[in-house]
Amino acid sequence: MKKILIVLLLAFLSGCMSITKVEGDQVVNSRMAVKVTDAWNKVSPPGTKQPFDMWTQEGLTLDHLRLWAAIKPGQALLIRPVGNVPIGQKAPRVPTYESGMQLDQLVNLFEIMYSADGSIVNMTKVEPAVFAGEKGVRFEFAVTRKSDDVQLNGVGWVSQRKGELFAATFIAPKLSFFPRLLPKAESIVRTAQIRG
Amino acid sequence: MMGMPSSGRRVFLRSACKHCLGMGALLPGLPALAQEGAAAAGATSSPLPAERFVRPALETDEGGLWGMMDREEARLRRSPFVVRDSQLSKYLQDLVCRLAGDHCPDIRVHVVRTPLFNATMAPNGMMQVWTGLLLRAENEAQLAAILGHEIGHYLERHTLERLRDMRSRAAFAQFMGLFGVVGAIGQLGALAGAFAFSREHETRADRLGMRLMKRAGYDGQQAAQVWDNLLGELKVTGGQDAGKRSPMMATHPPVETRRDDLLKLAGDASGSTGTAEYQQAMSQYRFGWLQDEIRRGQFEESLVLFNRLLARNAQDSQALYARGEVYRLRAGKEDLQESLNDLTRVTALEQPPAEAFRALGLVQKQRTDGASAVQAFEKYLAVAPEAADAGLIKNYIAELKP
Repeated sequence: MKKILIVLLLAFLSGCMSITKVEGDQVVNSRMAVKVTDAWNKVSPPGTKQPFDMWTQEGLTLDHLRLWAAIKPGQALLIRPVGNVPIGQKAPRVPTYESGMQLDQLVNLFEIMYSADGSIVNMTKVEPAVFAGEKGVRFEFAVTRKSDDVQLNGVGWVSQRKGELFAATFIAPKLSFFPRLLPKAESIVRTAQIRG
Repeated sequence: MMGMPSSGRRVFLRSACKHCLGMGALLPGLPALAQEGAAAAGATSSPLPAERFVRPALETDEGGLWGMMDREEARLRRSPFVVRDSQLSKYLQDLVCRLAGDHCPDIRVHVVRTPLFNATMAPNGMMQVWTGLLLRAENEAQLAAILGHEIGHYLERHTLERLRDMRSRAAFAQFMGLFGVVGAIGQLGALAGAFAFSREHETRADRLGMRLMKRAGYDGQQAAQVWDNLLGELKVTGGQDAGKRSPMMATHPPVETRRDDLLKLAGDASGSTGTAEYQQAMSQYRFGWLQDEIRRGQFEESLVLFNRLLARNAQDSQALYARGEVYRLRAGKEDLQESLNDLTRVTALEQPPAEAFRALGLVQKQRTDGASAVQAFEKYLAVAPEAADAGLIKNYIAELKP
């Protein structure tokens, strides 16, 4: 009986969100190194593994820093959880990286990604920048989140090397959280370096 | 209240105002309606209950439902998704009043900025109309068909009946499962799967809605047209059999049959479509709603919509830009040329959107036509010098200039 309970407990826990502390030198998807000065919480939701690392300071409903590394042409920036598509229906499109994309097209991928749940996204600033040692773009945006009406601000960085995409986005409520946490996110992003 | 878990009850009450997509008007029982014929639909006697509803006692299940919906409405009033514009609100409220007669003061219309086809009606009189519906309706008569259908549910208290029915059949959990897909609103078909009124309720709401719109002087045949239009978009994800296979239509006759039955119910095409009035009322907001549609990233569905808009008016500069932009973003094999065609045309029209020059410049850049790209970018920045992406575009110009 005790063994069965342990098995059940493990099965239950395996379906939970896992949260681990990250600090010091970190590598995203074995291809992008960053230095983490302040400790962050790495969150891995149960189920489908997403193609990005997701870190947070205050919890996912408040802020998140997402990091993508070595995304290949034809690869989506996020994976829609299985079961959200009604039987007999084609799955909806998800923003997908393609080789040769221009900087404006890369920004558009993230605009669509954050709009996908019905949130309102407005790009407020898009300008050239260096990210992970490559010429790319930095973009700022505002989000009105559909699920709870919260107004958030976001910032993103994206670049490409040898036909692979590298990117980061940070988002948090525009009041208090965003101005307070953005420097922490930027301090990580500034250290990003592509490996290989 | 009703023996449900409190959290589940809360979720239901939140959703009870969401669970009717106007599209349900096509679904059930239309053959029966058709037998009643156009004469019944166009009857001149008032189809409305004589008495306005009074607030039910709080201790009743209906009173509890109203109370919860009142709180939801208070939340909605504060929501940043609500379009707060007195002119647009008045236009919609006036339309509702033409449909609902003496019940007009009990119905409050809220326009919600969400780029999907949806309208809902809560039992306390809170009506939500999503901007995706307003973008897709072609005229006042089509909008009247949808709102009339929703008012039909309201006047016949279908939400309450449904709540009671679910409790008695312990179907609450299954029903709520349907709403799991609503959060992921990237897809029309997914939202459509969240319909939940019974076949009988949809039949009755259809019948009442048709009578209301015809009594208000609208062309009843537009009720069939609006659903036929939407079916084109649903086929993108549901295939040619979308009318049979989509979650909302699986247990019902083919949509073509339903459309025909609705047409029979409508009778002749007498009555107004209110096209000019509708276009005038929406003109101020339409471009923003088109941009919201583009941002959904569901390019194939958007192309069906934009093709339909352009079939109606080939000189529609906003729709032409929108289609060109979607082709550019989709970037398929022939898309760049299609995009170039549309954007070249729209930028030659009178008063094209500034964004059309931006998009044209980006297409020209991709085609490595640097001179044309610079020309388009410069026009864009001349019209929109404070554009959010001005920094990036200036950088492109610097790169492209010899």
